[in-house]
Amino acid sequence: MTQVIDVPQRFDERSFDHFAAAFAGATEAARVLVDAHACEWASPSGLVGLLCAGQALAARGGPKPLLTVPSEYEVAHYWARAGFFAHAPEFFEVHGSVPRVKPNPERTVILEVTPVAVADDVHAVVGRIQERAATILTAELGLDPKATMGFGMALSEACQNIVEHAGTGGWVAVQTYNWRSLGRKVAVIAVADAGVGFRHTLEATQAKRFGEGWGDAVALETALIQGVSRFRDPGRGQGLAGIRRYLDRWKGKISIRSGTARIAITQDWDRDKDEPLRDDLPPFPGAQVVLVVPEAEREAR
Amino acid sequence: MITSIDLKEVLARSVGAHSDLVTRSTGAAVRSSIEAALGATPGEASVVLDFSSVRVLDCSCADEVVAKLLLRRPTGPGGPVWWFVIRGLSDVHAEEIDYVLRRQGLALVVEEEDGGIRLLGQVEPSAAAAWRVVLERGGADEGEVADALVLPAADARRALEALAGAGIVRRAGDRYQPLTSAA
Repeated sequence: MTQVIDVPQRFDERSFDHFAAAFAGATEAARVLVDAHACEWASPSGLVGLLCAGQALAARGGPKPLLTVPSEYEVAHYWARAGFFAHAPEFFEVHGSVPRVKPNPERTVILEVTPVAVADDVHAVVGRIQERAATILTAELGLDPKATMGFGMALSEACQNIVEHAGTGGWVAVQTYNWRSLGRKVAVIAVADAGVGFRHTLEATQAKRFGEGWGDAVALETALIQGVSRFRDPGRGQGLAGIRRYLDRWKGKISIRSGTARIAITQDWDRDKDEPLRDDLPPFPGAQVVLVVPEAEREAR
Repeated sequence: MITSIDLKEVLARSVGAHSDLVTRSTGAAVRSSIEAALGATPGEASVVLDFSSVRVLDCSCADEVVAKLLLRRPTGPGGPVWWFVIRGLSDVHAEEIDYVLRRQGLALVVEEEDGGIRLLGQVEPSAAAAWRVVLERGGADEGEVADALVLPAADARRALEALAGAGIVRRAGDRYQPLTSAA
């Protein structure tokens, strides 16, 4: 029997929970079909989240899951330009026509879907985006050139969560696109892994402190709001704090989903505001981090 | 003896072709390389950490390179003593370093591109005021600081000793000298 996991028509961090619910319902015995044929758009968080699903399904063993390519050529072409299909065959048996793309960088793709497992990968990612990010953040998003250096810092710290805590590899993708409710462009960093997640990472040092209240939501709050790390070294746990400072300065937002919880620090411009903390979501392995930096307001440019 | 250390050069020597001071493991490698180089220097060393060629610096790397270097610096007596001054910081770098220093309760002297000197990190207001007096006078004793700030001598001494303990002024007999790349 094959179980189907539908990829939402618009696949981003908001619709990710529908995907996660279907993912959670897939039993280990069944062959899984991840059906993206009707997908019309995927954000970078959607693309890296799909790879995480593939990674988690592969870790269960059994037959390789199937993945259908979006039937709209433009959608499939965009996924190809974003680098998704370069990694998908590692975890999926891909069905459908995968467009061939030239190696020329896509203007809206600051960083193609890129694997991250070790510190060298973080260096490579930061090195690759720096020049392209400078052009896009200043020329297209109208941000101060100082935003570029901080962007590299935020990207590095987000990727290091995988290296330091996930216990497995993950992916990062950076793109710009129009944020519909904002009516302006945004630059989005999406980092995801199917590793152990925040709760497991912090359990040994923090669970006792919270007793029965301990769970995914408390773990996320402890890490993002209190800057607590699993290490006793007070110098640890600064990465997420650094990201928060950067996003505060450039009016950006952050959301982190791990296990059954999601935490978000939003801004006034985000009319579809995420709830600050939810703990009733369908379970999904690892951690999925999304950083959004908006285009400067016209009067500020 | 004054030693100037170009962080970009140390980065290349420690971890190869990377251009940015990012990741904790890179920071630890860079710090070890600096410590090894300074370890060969007997006695006192004033060290200028030059960040002017550094492009991206993240918090984790800043903690490993700067904060841990200060936490582990030898302070004598009888053995080597290292003092650190930092220069070539962009505003973004300065923000990261200020944060990691505060988190560890540390402070550091920074030379600005225009020759200005300021402190980054955590310094009590009375100590910061005493540091300003020492800097403006090119050195001062507790009496001068007490007079300048209208403080009891014991408070001036406490402030100066806090600065000396933090490694941001150098004690020479009864006087306290400011740290700069030229001193």
